[in-house]
Amino acid sequence: MEITSLSQPSLRTQLRALYVIALKDWKVFWRYPLNAASNIFQPIIWITPVYFMGKAFSTNGSALGFAAFSGTGDYMSFILLGTVLTNFILTVFWGMGYALKNDMDAGVLESNWLAPVSRLLILVGRTLTSLLTTAITSLIMLVIAGALFGFRPTGNTFAALLTSLPMLVGLYGFGFAFAGLVLLMREANTLVDVSSFLVQGLSGTNFPVQSLPTWLIPVALALPLTYGLDAVRGWLLQTRTILPLNVEIVLIIIFMFLMLWIGTWTFYRVERHVRTLGTLGQH
Amino acid sequence: METIISSPSLGKPGFLSDLRALWAVVHREWTIFRRYPSWIIALLIWPLIFPMLYILTARALAGPDGSGLAIFMKTTGASDFIGYIVIGTTVWMWQNIVLWDVGFSLRNEQMRGTLESNWLSPTWRFSYLLGHTGPQLVSMLMFITITALEFGLLFHVRLHGSVWMILLTMLAAIPSIYGLGFAFASLVITVKEANAFVFLIRGLVMIFCGITFPISILPGWMQSIAKWLPQSYLIHGMRAAAFSNAGITELLPDLMPLLAFGTFWLVVGYFTFLWMERRARRTGAIGQY
Repeated sequence: MEITSLSQPSLRTQLRALYVIALKDWKVFWRYPLNAASNIFQPIIWITPVYFMGKAFSTNGSALGFAAFSGTGDYMSFILLGTVLTNFILTVFWGMGYALKNDMDAGVLESNWLAPVSRLLILVGRTLTSLLTTAITSLIMLVIAGALFGFRPTGNTFAALLTSLPMLVGLYGFGFAFAGLVLLMREANTLVDVSSFLVQGLSGTNFPVQSLPTWLIPVALALPLTYGLDAVRGWLLQTRTILPLNVEIVLIIIFMFLMLWIGTWTFYRVERHVRTLGTLGQH
Repeated sequence: METIISSPSLGKPGFLSDLRALWAVVHREWTIFRRYPSWIIALLIWPLIFPMLYILTARALAGPDGSGLAIFMKTTGASDFIGYIVIGTTVWMWQNIVLWDVGFSLRNEQMRGTLESNWLSPTWRFSYLLGHTGPQLVSMLMFITITALEFGLLFHVRLHGSVWMILLTMLAAIPSIYGLGFAFASLVITVKEANAFVFLIRGLVMIFCGITFPISILPGWMQSIAKWLPQSYLIHGMRAAAFSNAGITELLPDLMPLLAFGTFWLVVGYFTFLWMERRARRTGAIGQY
């Protein structure tokens, strides 16, 4: 007996699925407006102690020590840019895994999985709304924090945006692998919290990695994000970069392909394993 | 003919039975605490990595030759910038954990569906909240001890004061920190989803209490707000006791406000709980979530 599927997947249906996922997330996000306010003010609250600590390290408002490491004494612009990029990194990096966890808890993961849509597409769809809302909240955050602490980009914004693109695309690869881990472990909150904190810290969100203790510098240099953050700052704030800018951009592009390949491979392997075990719907 | 059916309660509430109820809650919380040993990992890692973010930023601000550090030492009067930051961040973490643990204790019970049935038992209801505090205090003491050990062993942070004075300052801060937690727990049970309030309160501590800087560096209006937050006195007192060898006389300007705030927050916490209890009985909302 031949079983014929009623579904007729095509590019159009895949795009429609993507749109529907994004629309659903958009509605859910704005259903809780306090979360949006929290996304704006949380980063400002976290960097306020750094602002005042920086004052305690400065003479006549100039952080000379910081300038010796980074090439700019404007440490608040440095940190604010790092915070905005981190918002995007978190969205892609962990967003897909968290979305899967939420679907698992809500009990809809298994039924979504049965839809004739590429599973990677479902994962990518879950980041579209977050990317848009992150862009909106980060922009508002930047305006408020800029008014409070000062944000003075002096370089090439377009080049900075262009450089951040391969970094974000590469992060999707990591996100796929992490989503696979969530499928396998089902409860990965502590792992996520700790590794997220470490990656953020060691890739230089708040400070130039050159200032790290010597034994931590190789760890920082092994993280692709380090070069992304460094290059974007190099373009926008004209800071002193770890490697020449063109070398960093080549590295980011290589990492992009590598991470996408490893991430996709890992996700599909884990997903097949989980389907074989039949644990997809468990949480 | 009217028949009056008297149904006396089988419960015989008294001081001893209240104490037994309190002990039962403490025992239950301790059992739950030990049941999920993943907290051991968190207990080892968080004391280290949260302050590290600020310590590494401070290193960057100090510059390759450490010239910025001399300015920081002069501004803050600190002899050890790592210890200075660790005390501030540890106090922040203490308040943060209490808000999540004690503040959400009744809410968690509500989510488990056991709050309403517990509420019906003839026990002192405040014991549900108070009983949760015991194991939380023990875990917090472990957290602070591990922080001290980790920074002492790995970063060679050394005390230049009395451990007893540090403990005395912490003891004076317990009523205000946990009183705030009690008030918060009652608020959470009323408004249900209260994560934003945790962010607000811990945000106030982070901005105004000088966790990584001296309060004197803040603008005047911010310093005025800092004076109304007990955590400001706790951070200042602990730093003085740990690194400036402050004795009880020098610590009095911090201890007195801490005790005053403690009394205030305990009273507020208790009366907020009574108000919530009355409101819950009137509206019947205790089992809803």
